[in-house]
Amino acid sequence: MADELTPDELLDKIDYATDSGNWLDTTKSVQIRPGMYCYAAKPESVETLGLPNARSWNPTEEDWKLPDNWQQIIHDGIKERLEKFRTFKIFMDVCVRCGACADKCHFFLGTGDPKNMPVLRAELLRSIYRNDFTTAGKILQKIPGGQRLGGNRPLTLDVLKEMWYYFFQCTECRRCSVFCPYGIDTAEITIMARELFNLLGLNIDWIATPVSNCYTTGNHLGIQPHAFKDMLDFFVEDIEDITGVDCTPNYQKKGADILFVTPSGDVFADPGTYTCQGYLILFKYLKEKYGLDVTWSTYASEGGNFGFFTSHETMKRLNAKMYYEAKRLGVKWILGGECGHMWRVIHQYMDTMNGPADFLEVPVNPITGTKFHNSASTKMVHITEFTADLIKHGKLELDKGRNANRIMTFHDSCNPARGMGLLDEPRYVINNVCDNFYEMPPNTIRENTFCCGSGAGLNAGENMELRMAGALPRATALKHVHEKYGVNTLGTICAIDRAALSTLCEYWVPEVEVAGIHELVGNALILPGEKERTEDLRMEPLPGCEEEE
Amino acid sequence: MTLKQSLTQNHDELLKQWFQATINTYPPQSARILGKDVDRFDNPVGAVTRETLEDVLHLLASDYTSDTLEKALDPVIRIRAVQAFSAAEAVSFIFFLKKIGETVMDSAHIREFDRMVDQVVLAGFNRLMKCREDIFLLKATESKRRIHAAFERAGLVKELKEEDLLGSKKS
Repeated sequence: MADELTPDELLDKIDYATDSGNWLDTTKSVQIRPGMYCYAAKPESVETLGLPNARSWNPTEEDWKLPDNWQQIIHDGIKERLEKFRTFKIFMDVCVRCGACADKCHFFLGTGDPKNMPVLRAELLRSIYRNDFTTAGKILQKIPGGQRLGGNRPLTLDVLKEMWYYFFQCTECRRCSVFCPYGIDTAEITIMARELFNLLGLNIDWIATPVSNCYTTGNHLGIQPHAFKDMLDFFVEDIEDITGVDCTPNYQKKGADILFVTPSGDVFADPGTYTCQGYLILFKYLKEKYGLDVTWSTYASEGGNFGFFTSHETMKRLNAKMYYEAKRLGVKWILGGECGHMWRVIHQYMDTMNGPADFLEVPVNPITGTKFHNSASTKMVHITEFTADLIKHGKLELDKGRNANRIMTFHDSCNPARGMGLLDEPRYVINNVCDNFYEMPPNTIRENTFCCGSGAGLNAGENMELRMAGALPRATALKHVHEKYGVNTLGTICAIDRAALSTLCEYWVPEVEVAGIHELVGNALILPGEKERTEDLRMEPLPGCEEEE
Repeated sequence: MTLKQSLTQNHDELLKQWFQATINTYPPQSARILGKDVDRFDNPVGAVTRETLEDVLHLLASDYTSDTLEKALDPVIRIRAVQAFSAAEAVSFIFFLKKIGETVMDSAHIREFDRMVDQVVLAGFNRLMKCREDIFLLKATESKRRIHAAFERAGLVKELKEEDLLGSKKS
């Protein structure tokens, strides 16, 4: 009993000091730090889309060259969205600040910045909502100390800058929403905040210019049709060198069975280019063996949709081209490549934005007879579902030995995993083309997967510190399987991941490289009439074909 | 008792205080969470910081060189190099060891212990510079790749391979 404290001793231990900091007071805390923010949108990119307030501005300068009535624009923007989107209204009201999400965000875990706790990031906007739109907020703002009590604050320039800084430190990955007992989708709060910024012309260039490119040329990189075809021709030459088989694809072929759409990153950015070669090999195989006719399009040449990170109207405009092209070509349904946010747009928004696509058929794999009921409305099937179905029915002849040098793990990309529940198909494909597969720890994969730290338009170069800090939780799990099982390859089904994770690995786990799943399929698939292969798609010696030193 | 024996004997107390002081370099709201001893994948900053500091203390109690110290410090410095710390703040946590040593270590060893900490600081600063160079190299490498792809598309760099452009990384 002697160990128990007396009441006086117990009282001595209580800290009566009030919290020295007040997060509502942003005047000192907003420091837009190089390495953490992305450059402002170029005015010409904003103009192309007809979005308002295009101008040159710089986030680090005092004057953001805002329109005079910017507060009214934001106020009206919030009001319009509260009335239009029931989810937004509920998410503004329902949070009880329990903190379940606080330590679930990769940016919080990596940066250690409390304003990257999802709850606090959302509070930056909620505080404005409470101030301007709730009765309690309107009463409390008239009482001394009432604002702090109610957690509301007026929209000042510093508040706007703070919101801009932190809502562009969110990749809309939705990991926090998995843990929210109320089911608040914090990504939707970020989406709304970014829509509001766009009303003031406050987009970042890594989003605005790809969107503008996509709107004018059909893809984010602004590749014109002839250059797109040139690049695929280049892959066809490489594949012929490696396999001896000509895999020339169809372009804009009217009456083809299937239209294939993939992110343009697969066509131009390593290591996505090897995944792209995997698609070409697969389609050649299916044409030769089963007569399946797949066509590419240089018009619908982008699966990704950075409009998603701008506004719902912009997302709709960019998404529409897939359906228009499918209709023009008269295909039966659309097959989509390995992409991340593309699938959230398709799975959750496309059908109500541009659908229903009544002119297309409910997707059926003509080779296996499998009907993809999950795509009955969108008419779009993910290529790993398609390939997994082919493998399951024994329709692909595969030589796993060609991937024997790969000791794999798999990174669930946020959007296919959490946005559409695509968890097992990629793993099934990997296990059928490769013998060595090890999972990362369970709290870092599947629904609990950690983001690459570069999604939602944040894969720019100038914010490298932010990206690497956000990548820390993923890297910690990857390093673990590298050290424990000798994992040397990180598989993924997202074009942004293929670029972002490569840089992540260079900084955190340099011994690991990144590969798309269809790169492995392309290596393993035995093409009819192929020569004896000695190199993989990276033109490196296949296992067993290494030259003796 | 030698300094190294004293380090081994006081290992737990040194680690406990050094870890807490290091975590307290984060804002208080974050430090409360990062200081928790939970699954390492749910709290990588806390886990890596704890493991690294422990490794460094073990190393100090055995044989070390500036190279082995630098390598041991890498995981925690690599994290702090991308967080909102100035260069001084990023390595400041090593100096805390001196103050902790004053209360934990035998006074006979203090001068020697302080000199040891100075060596750790220098190793930490070396590693911080390397990590910052890594970051700038990553930025440069990504830009080079993008620009190179554009030049190659335009047919301007037929002879120059990407590996040639990235040669600076190897040097």
